[in-house]
Amino acid sequence: MKTTVKTHLTFTTMLRRSLIHRRGRSFSALVAMTVSAAVATALLTLYADLDAKLHKEFRSFGANIVVTAPTGSKGLPEDALARIKTAAGPDAIAAEFAYAVATTDRGTSVVVAGTDFDALRRLNASWQVDAWPTAADTNAALLGQRAANFIADERAVKLTFAGKDITLRGVGRLKTGGDEDSRIYIPTSAFHAWTNVAPTVIELQIPGGAVNVESALTRLQHELPDAKVEPVRQLVEGESRIVDKTHALMYGAVLLIALTVAVSVLATLSASVLERRRDFALMKALGGSQTQLMGMFLLEALVLALAGVAVGFVIGSAAAWIISQVNFHTASQPRIGVLPLVLLLNVLIAAMAALFPVRVLRGLQPAALLKGE
Amino acid sequence: MFFRLLMESFRRQRRRKALAGLAILLGTTAVTAMLALALTIGDRIHNELAVYGANIIVFPTAEQLDVKIGGVDVKPASGSFLKETDLSKLKTIFWANNITGLSPELPLTINTSTAGGSPIAISALGLWFNHPFTDTLKTGAPSLHPWWKINGAWPTSNDQAVIGSALATKLNLHTGDTLALPELASHLTITGVVSTGDATENQLLLPLSAAQTFANLPNSISRVEVSARTKPEDAFARKDPDTLSPKLREVWYCRPYANSIAYQIREAIPGSQAEQVRRVEQSEGTVLARISGLMWLICAAALLAAGFAVSAAMATAILERQGEIGLMRSLGASKGAIAMLFYAETGLLAIIGGTLGYLLGSGLAAWLGARIFANEAVTLGTVLNPVLLPVIVALALVVAIAGSTPSIRTTLKMNPSEILRADA
Repeated sequence: MKTTVKTHLTFTTMLRRSLIHRRGRSFSALVAMTVSAAVATALLTLYADLDAKLHKEFRSFGANIVVTAPTGSKGLPEDALARIKTAAGPDAIAAEFAYAVATTDRGTSVVVAGTDFDALRRLNASWQVDAWPTAADTNAALLGQRAANFIADERAVKLTFAGKDITLRGVGRLKTGGDEDSRIYIPTSAFHAWTNVAPTVIELQIPGGAVNVESALTRLQHELPDAKVEPVRQLVEGESRIVDKTHALMYGAVLLIALTVAVSVLATLSASVLERRRDFALMKALGGSQTQLMGMFLLEALVLALAGVAVGFVIGSAAAWIISQVNFHTASQPRIGVLPLVLLLNVLIAAMAALFPVRVLRGLQPAALLKGE
Repeated sequence: MFFRLLMESFRRQRRRKALAGLAILLGTTAVTAMLALALTIGDRIHNELAVYGANIIVFPTAEQLDVKIGGVDVKPASGSFLKETDLSKLKTIFWANNITGLSPELPLTINTSTAGGSPIAISALGLWFNHPFTDTLKTGAPSLHPWWKINGAWPTSNDQAVIGSALATKLNLHTGDTLALPELASHLTITGVVSTGDATENQLLLPLSAAQTFANLPNSISRVEVSARTKPEDAFARKDPDTLSPKLREVWYCRPYANSIAYQIREAIPGSQAEQVRRVEQSEGTVLARISGLMWLICAAALLAAGFAVSAAMATAILERQGEIGLMRSLGASKGAIAMLFYAETGLLAIIGGTLGYLLGSGLAAWLGARIFANEAVTLGTVLNPVLLPVIVALALVVAIAGSTPSIRTTLKMNPSEILRADA
């Protein structure tokens, strides 16, 4: 019992003395372990968030599912939007559209769409609009930039549908580069009161890529068996392709950097162990056993590795946070979940660094080394 | 003497040199690979984003509005067309090389009959299929709509056509069948059935020149879709060029913004209106900026990590040799001479390690790129970026020298006799 305590004491004293006495070397080993832990933490934190962050960027492409009323019907059922919203889940954005071909005050035919401006705005982040009408404004009209050229007075837009007139206040112009440029958007309530045409199309955006879209398609079709539920094919395919490729690229990058850092750290630490051949020889000559010496080196490396993980986790999380903030404009919160992996990686490197030189040291004769070669 | 010392040092201390060299080699490999990937990621992601189709559309300045709902022309507009021959002028605009594809179209209605013999009017679209635009660029509708899936082959001559899958079901037509056009005293062979996922599934797609003949509108096109490599839009891109000073206007004009390319297309094709497709262009810009931004930041992280690794390795390598330095000092070598020797060793290691790392990293980047982004031509020119070599070697030199400086200085400051006694 007494011997164990004594050994233990000697061990800690030796450890402390070894770390403090060779401050320069301990410090450079600590820096190496910190860098490896910081890099691993930063990359793993970023990597864990990557798909969610990328999918978020793809939201600006707009709707990825279109629900259309069956041909020949009078439009979608009245509660269709509410049912679709429930079936699609809380993250989805849905907007319903009713279309009618009206005549402008200049006698040109124009497509007028009745919709909910709030949903339209959230669904189409890429559209360029001078001023979005508020949802409360039931008399507002958003004019497509081409359609606006066929209207005499943009302040008081006069439209005729089936002999009925309506006068709306144009609040802004819309620029998309698509069919929308030739349309006029007005609020659903005004549209319905004027034309009595029911909505025929619901555009939906389901976040999260092809898998989510596929499952949403099934749910929506089940909810509205008569309607035509179709994905916007190029968007769904493209998103998955690009996210997958970026993911693969990041994976390659993470492996490459981790490998580089690991091998460099290994080289640095091994060198500092090898350099202590003389200590090794002396301890052996004084009666230290092979196991004790190995334990000594191992413990020293592990202490450094743990200190490295503690500091590195903080630095790495900060780096991941900054990278996310700069690039994606959203923060990446520190993830405790990556800690075990980082710890494992660092301890593995430290253990290898301590044990790798032992093979070289074992072959040495203490006497020869102490004599000076 | 100096060179002998240098050579001997490399000859005798192979293991130590190998360790420091390995650190430099790995560091530069990682940095080269990341840089090479970051430099090409823009083009690669752009190619991937091509699945979204055209980012600029060109149409005639209209006297009438399109009356389209859900991609279907409710009231086909008549009258204004662009000239197909004017498209060749796109080859002369400033950013002509950035145009990666274009697809003109001409919609028409064709009268034919169903399998039962009753007459029916079907809507058709005249398109380019693999049309040689320049010597190197063959383009057309299929390349601008990569999500169109064809079961069969695209038409190659004017008496062939492909049919949308919904229309094919309706008319009970299959690949190899013939569609008679009695009014035009002609017929078309169906070479394939195409599934598009949009309104085109209800149309017949035929070569543009055949459509022009059938509609009796020679040289006419109603719309052109253009896919161009663009620079993501910034605040400057949104400016109206006509309000800028001549000098700034020149700058605006000579940047590959979608707006500038659209402006140049308007100038080149008389009577045309060109607009960026905001849904594609704006979103592509964001995605491209995010992904390449991520690559550059990872690149910076790789650089930082490699820098730390290399300087730590160099510091260890110098610290190990305190005894040597003490001996040289006591034998009368000046501090300058010793520092010179160590820097020369470091520099030599950095140059060798950096060059090898450059080669290895370039290879790795090419391999990774080819694995992730399929169907790419790999040539020596694309693998080895000559600009990177001096950059990488210079980086390796700076990092290695910066990493070894503190250790060299500390060691030189120490009293040689103390070092020698401590070592003994």
